[in-house]
Amino acid sequence: MYTSLTNRRKFIKKMAILSAMTAAATMFPGILFADEQEKGIPNSANLDWKKAPCRFCGVGCGVLVGTENGKAVAVKGDPKSPVNKGLCCVKGYHSIMALYGKDRLTKPLVKRKGQYVETSMEEALDLVAFKMKETIKSHGKDAVSIYGSGQWTIPDGYAASKLFKGCIGTNNVEANARLCMASAVTGFMTSFGIDEPMGCYEDIDHADVFFLWGNNMAEMHPVLFSRLLDQRLKRDVKIIDFATRTTRTSKASDKSILFKPQTDLAVANAICYEIINNGWVNTSFVEKHCNFNKGLTNMGYGLEDNYKFKDKPEKIDFTAFKKFLEDYTPEKVEKVSGVSAKDIKYMAAYYGDPNKKIMSLWCMGMNQHSRGTWINNLVYNIHLLTGKISSPGNSPFSLTGQPSACGTVREVGTLTHKLPHGVVMNEKHREFAAKIWDVPVENIPSKPTYHTVEMFRALDRGDIRFMWIQVTNPMVTMPKLKRYRDGAKKEGRFIVVSDIYPTPTTDIADVILPSAMWIEREGLFGNSERRTQHFDQMVDPPGEAMSDTWQLVEVAKRMGYEKQFYYKEETHIEEIYNEYRKHHDNKKHNMAPLEVLKSQPGAMWPFVDGKSTKWRFNAKYDPACSNGKDFHFYGKPDGKAIIWQRPYEPAAEEPDSEYPYWLNTGRVVEHWHTGSMTRRIPVLHKAMPHAYVELHPHDAKRLQIRTGDNVKLTTRRGEIVLPASINQRGVPAPMQVFVPFFDENLLINDITLDSFCPISKEPDYKKCAVKVEKA
Amino acid sequence: MRKRLGIISLFILLFLAFIIIWNYSYQTGLKEAYIPIENGDDSEVFLSENGVFENSQLALDYANMPVDENHQRTLKTYYDNRAYYGAPPSIPHPVKEEMSMGGNTCLQCHQSGGFVPKYNAYTPITPHPEMINCRQCHMVQNTETYFKQTAFAKKQAPIVGINNALPGSPPMIPHQIQMRENCLSCHAGPAAPKEIRVTHPERINCMQCHVPDNTQLGIDAIIFTRDNNSYDE
Repeated sequence: MYTSLTNRRKFIKKMAILSAMTAAATMFPGILFADEQEKGIPNSANLDWKKAPCRFCGVGCGVLVGTENGKAVAVKGDPKSPVNKGLCCVKGYHSIMALYGKDRLTKPLVKRKGQYVETSMEEALDLVAFKMKETIKSHGKDAVSIYGSGQWTIPDGYAASKLFKGCIGTNNVEANARLCMASAVTGFMTSFGIDEPMGCYEDIDHADVFFLWGNNMAEMHPVLFSRLLDQRLKRDVKIIDFATRTTRTSKASDKSILFKPQTDLAVANAICYEIINNGWVNTSFVEKHCNFNKGLTNMGYGLEDNYKFKDKPEKIDFTAFKKFLEDYTPEKVEKVSGVSAKDIKYMAAYYGDPNKKIMSLWCMGMNQHSRGTWINNLVYNIHLLTGKISSPGNSPFSLTGQPSACGTVREVGTLTHKLPHGVVMNEKHREFAAKIWDVPVENIPSKPTYHTVEMFRALDRGDIRFMWIQVTNPMVTMPKLKRYRDGAKKEGRFIVVSDIYPTPTTDIADVILPSAMWIEREGLFGNSERRTQHFDQMVDPPGEAMSDTWQLVEVAKRMGYEKQFYYKEETHIEEIYNEYRKHHDNKKHNMAPLEVLKSQPGAMWPFVDGKSTKWRFNAKYDPACSNGKDFHFYGKPDGKAIIWQRPYEPAAEEPDSEYPYWLNTGRVVEHWHTGSMTRRIPVLHKAMPHAYVELHPHDAKRLQIRTGDNVKLTTRRGEIVLPASINQRGVPAPMQVFVPFFDENLLINDITLDSFCPISKEPDYKKCAVKVEKA
Repeated sequence: MRKRLGIISLFILLFLAFIIIWNYSYQTGLKEAYIPIENGDDSEVFLSENGVFENSQLALDYANMPVDENHQRTLKTYYDNRAYYGAPPSIPHPVKEEMSMGGNTCLQCHQSGGFVPKYNAYTPITPHPEMINCRQCHMVQNTETYFKQTAFAKKQAPIVGINNALPGSPPMIPHQIQMRENCLSCHAGPAAPKEIRVTHPERINCMQCHVPDNTQLGIDAIIFTRDNNSYDE
């Protein structure tokens, strides 16, 4: 038995040393720039520098953008930003070059007789509004839909939700974040009843051990990873990489442990078994703050159209949970997972050690998982059993991949079941939203319609006839892509795409609207640590390009919703944000006022009494705690978090004799998602010109494949030929291959599988069976 | 009598042995088949980027080291010591033992570096200390004269300070990194040429900001081209 902060004196001491070290590091910033090094760099003294959150990933680095004569010309990390403290990654440093690709869309294009014809913005918006009204008239409200993204600014998503859910009256609102962190959301909802991480990036400065669960942080969250490396130099922390593939992260870690795909479920349970078996459970924490639940099993994989699933939670007790874990002894799990019992015990020992503060970090490995909600639950189980949660350095932390996946999709709620505050199924929530939106409550339907995969299936079937796609590229990112591409191209479908460059998604559009991106307009993003950040317009958008927010407002007005879309062009971002804040006007979710966000590099909600909240559910830091105890998991009615009994179940499609390899897909440091921006940045394109397939050296040798040779990958969905990469960026385990998905000319998603987590409906891009041959 | 006892005891022994062996095999047959996990015959993988993080524990020391202005190496001497840009440097000093492997001789100084009063210079650090047959590639220059003059033209090395895409953005890597995956060995520490010494060695994950410029390496990757160009007028 122990209490979680017994050694306060030691803690304060450590903090003092730490801050002294940080101070020292800023006073002696290494070796000064030699004159010789600066010779070739042009003078940048005349630039006008303004702050913005980075355009790319969900880390949400603060950047300073330098403009000169109306053009963005330079980027540097914002030293004032607590996220990145002045550092960026290669994408961030070159982000502004994404504004200036030569094939930038500057005029609306309308497809007439198979040809794209330039038109004016007025006409194009008229056409969009007309088509939407026509479709509603002939096919009903639920035949129109909007598909947005985690790159939507907060006002973009808010306008979309208000127009579709509030005014038109359909829940056909989805976003690509469904493909990216829906499992994180359902993980939070099922375990804690309220979305988004309890901790923050500052946990990195306090934790002693970092567990990376299937997370190649060195490439995908490089700036945060550099904070981990920084801590290792200063405090000798441990970084443990638990993954299916050897990556740059594995190389930088203190220990790399490989597991067989999908078996992270078993290993997480084995860690819980060890914790209980060795008496490392923080009993008083569990008794005071946790309940035990079990749910349905054998849920299926969502492969068939109209697949439905609803979990049935059932209360159990600690004894039943302990009994369940007997199937997950390290020795038994070793056989399933390929992780030695010794390594499982090694990991459990760190989690169980009361003197070690632990941060678990994950992203797509756990979210794009056919049991994504379960594995999220299981990692929370470990932290709850040991009471290592919601306090500085003890933090299960779900990372995100898009700049506003949290800020817009999760907080504004641009998913079919969501409202800015609450869900459409709840009458009170509907009434609350309708009041702020100034619409009759009957407008908002009480039933969710389609999640992303099902929405594209509905488009294929003809249940959806009109789709407006903004800031995302589903014709590269949808799994089992061919079906959805063919479906979108069918007669009688009308597709509007708002984007900044031609992409495979604009290729299927009937109307292409040129968008103003990032600093070409004013906006707000919300990052992984609940930090909302504001950016001003710094440069003019090219041609007739218009912000996604204003496109939506213009179409809403044309559809007769002037009353709800009363915003003025000059001040609409401020008006929308102030209106949006009303939805979260409570201690659990209050958003910072706009003037605060304008004056500093963001603020973390709940923003109460002028202060950001760093650690939620902890009475010491979170003003929303009201139960008088040290922790209060107020997302659940009884204030208790839930430890879930979740078993190991295999993936939807595992390798067999015909398709003997695992196919894993993912990203690279140079390119951001589908590369529509980063591939137009010469620095990044030169460094990573095309996709490839990574093989294990043994497999390559047996198949007589060398780096650069063409390799044919075949799955039950189709085939693709890619150049091989052996011992280059990463090395998959034997009988596994890895392909990055950024390359629209080598579409790996044509052959991936559209199985998804039945609870979150997030597809599993990391696992399907593939045949590998030398082409 | 004795003979008979002997035979009987032999049979008893055989019988016992049979029971024991049968029992053992029966017991093992009952056990669940257990296939021990092979812990990978060579789990050690060598990425082409292998070594980026080697010696990173020294990075903080490098960052805090004062600059010894009087003994700085320059990029000129760095390249002068190579037959061409990218060639392995020659050994500009006599070697201690002609017969030994580098592990016992060269690495004594070239693994960790340090000041050598004899040469009045800091020892450069090797980016690949795991390869100990140093003189397979690195040769001592025992004479200044030529057998015959050469017409070989030494390729111009990349110029410092022009590899940035934007003002102040991190420079791209203008050279190939094979055998030189460990950035810190040349770009940090007292032996680093002053023109290419990094101001922030403590960052470690160099390639998070500095990416290779493949065009400089002759890899064709000029402009991203879409397969579908239906928009082009």
